[in-house]
Amino acid sequence: MLEIKNLHVKLEDEDKVILKGLSLTVPKGEVHAIMGPNGSGKSTLAYVLAGRDGYEVTDGDILWNGESILDMEPDERAAKGVFLAFQYPMEIPGVAGLTFLRTATNALRKKRGQDELTTPAFLKLVKEKGAELNIDIEMLKRPVNVGFSGGEKKRSEILQMALLEPTLCVLDETDSGLDIDALRVVSDGVNALRNKDRAMLVITHYQRLLNHIVPDKVHVLADGKIQKTGGKELALELEKSGYADYTGKAA
Amino acid sequence: MNVAVMKTKAEQGLAEQFEKVADKLPGSTAVKALRAAAFGKFGALGLPHRRIEEWKYTDLRVGIKDVLPPAVSDQTPVTSGDLIVALGPLAHIDAYRMTFVNGNFRQDLSDWDGATGFEISPFSNALTSDSQSSAIDPSVVTGPDGDATIALNTALMTDGAVVRVPEQASPDKPLLVVFIRAGRTAQLMTVRNVIEAGPRSKSTIIEAHVMLPGAVVDGQTNTLNEITVGEGAEIAHIKIAIDEGKSLHLANSNVALKADATYRGFQYTSGQAIARNQTHVTYLGEGGKLDLSGAFLARGSEHIDTTLVVDHAVPHCESRELFKGVLDDRGRGVFQGKIIVRPDAQKTDGKQMAQVLMLSPDTEFNSKPELEIYADDVVCGHGTTSAQLDDDLLFYCMSRGIPQAEARALLIESFIGEAMDKVEHEALRDALMQYARTWLTNDKS
Ligand SMILES: Nc1ncnc2c1ncn2[C@@H]1O[C@H](COP(=O)(O)OP(=O)(O)OP(=O)(O)O)[C@@H](O)[C@H]1O
Ligand SMILES: [Mg+2]
Repeated sequence: MLEIKNLHVKLEDEDKVILKGLSLTVPKGEVHAIMGPNGSGKSTLAYVLAGRDGYEVTDGDILWNGESILDMEPDERAAKGVFLAFQYPMEIPGVAGLTFLRTATNALRKKRGQDELTTPAFLKLVKEKGAELNIDIEMLKRPVNVGFSGGEKKRSEILQMALLEPTLCVLDETDSGLDIDALRVVSDGVNALRNKDRAMLVITHYQRLLNHIVPDKVHVLADGKIQKTGGKELALELEKSGYADYTGKAA
Repeated sequence: MNVAVMKTKAEQGLAEQFEKVADKLPGSTAVKALRAAAFGKFGALGLPHRRIEEWKYTDLRVGIKDVLPPAVSDQTPVTSGDLIVALGPLAHIDAYRMTFVNGNFRQDLSDWDGATGFEISPFSNALTSDSQSSAIDPSVVTGPDGDATIALNTALMTDGAVVRVPEQASPDKPLLVVFIRAGRTAQLMTVRNVIEAGPRSKSTIIEAHVMLPGAVVDGQTNTLNEITVGEGAEIAHIKIAIDEGKSLHLANSNVALKADATYRGFQYTSGQAIARNQTHVTYLGEGGKLDLSGAFLARGSEHIDTTLVVDHAVPHCESRELFKGVLDDRGRGVFQGKIIVRPDAQKTDGKQMAQVLMLSPDTEFNSKPELEIYADDVVCGHGTTSAQLDDDLLFYCMSRGIPQAEARALLIESFIGEAMDKVEHEALRDALMQYARTWLTNDKS
């Protein structure tokens, strides 16, 4: 279970406060969606979950399976099952996709006390998972994400997720930039990972994604806090009325 | 008449050493005269210092404090097992081997039995033979006239490899020429290699300067390669110099390219208190191609200088240079790249790039690219960049479970990798990457 308690976050180098007492609980086996206006702090929440530098938690805590993760390095969090699919996946020139995936997969297996995969076993796994996401192995021989289209980058994030087998999946606008078919492919990939041991937090601007990945709950994040929580019908409401109610409340 | 005055203690020390060993150095009377003349020239020039434009960033008057005795007929025992250890990742390369210990040829550690396509002999033989071998003809030195390190090399040259690749030959394996520093006595080694690739031949030569673990760390090396690439010939020359932070490594490579000749050079350098790789390339015929790249890694207070002069004297030639440096602690990198395009050298195509990665705020990178273009129909370009390791990329890697040290290594390797990819021989490329990996994991910071 993911428990975010009264989380206050500011930028490390500036006085800007972004999250102002955010609380949220996602039990294992559930998928929760977070929607909210631009700049409301959704990506910030995702980065703080993954452990990115540059943010300072001034109050509150984040517990994953009862354990605070705030003092852990990003790689330790990954070992505990945390995975963030980035809103803007990064390009790593000079590092072949396959090398990157194998290094990450084996680093995590080692930390989780599993045997490292042999190269043939790893390649077989990548081919399998890649095929499900329409990712050709040839694409993975190129440097990580370099020259990939926006949609290809998003699919490659989901492939990483499928290979690394996280238990807490945070998807930051994975649907943005996907065409209709890719949206289905990616959603199928995400749905295939849904199970009773996994918790998922899906950040999106579009109700349409939630037709494919049906959430257990929808939260509205505005002005650094969860302003409202509801069922999947809340997303439909937002589609009609926008965020005026919530940002208004904040003003 | 102006009699040159020796100025620094080191210059004085060198004069004393030269006097002491002049009689013991190999060579006929003609060679002795050549040495004396060269040392006279060195005496007039003195050690290069910062007021000499080409040596602005690498001041040997400041850098060389102690003069070491020249290694002459060194007898330090080294076994073939030691050789394997000293070679590290290079030991796995299937190659003919020519080995020098403290600058002196060692037959017992060499093996080129059955080598087809290489004619190999020690330079000391050429020095002592009566016939005026072209290997010792001073006019063979095509590099910058008036360079003190070259004059010093001629004065003290002791041994080295003379390698000829006959016309159209294409040896089945590379030749690995190894220079090992061994023993507990710090010495000055002066090496002269002469490499001649015959017309339309194709060969690979690896020149490795390594040390035996536990050997004295503060040795000095002065090495000069005279390389001629014949018409239509292609040669890959991979030079490796690895030390442990205290040594001095002065290396000159003078490359002459005949028509349609190709020289693929790679220089891997790490661990010297001061290293200078000075490469001078001259095109003698049309259609010549130069593909020179390298990687240098410096930490502590190490200083690694790469200086290139590419002289396009004839039309229709191409030059490509790509150098990558990794600097940590107070490590300093110098890159000077001069491309000269002479008035006749139309259709010259020259491109140069040097990039460094600075892992600490106290590193320094001096770069001086120079284009001297006297022809109008040419394509030339150069660039230098220096950057730090990208924190965002580091986070991205770590968020996928890769520990910080491994993530750093991955990013640094990928940075150097772009230059290493220029080495076509796969096992050799892997060995170079292995050296870099070892360097990265030796990080004590
Ligand atoms: N590193 C940073 N430096 C400066 N400002 C930042 C930084 N990170 C976040 N911010 C600011 O904090 C606020 C929240 O940003 P965040 O990216 O979390 O919003 P978001 O909800 O993900 O928006 P979007 O829907 O546009 O993706 C914005 O005003 C943003 O400009
Ligand atoms: Mg965002």
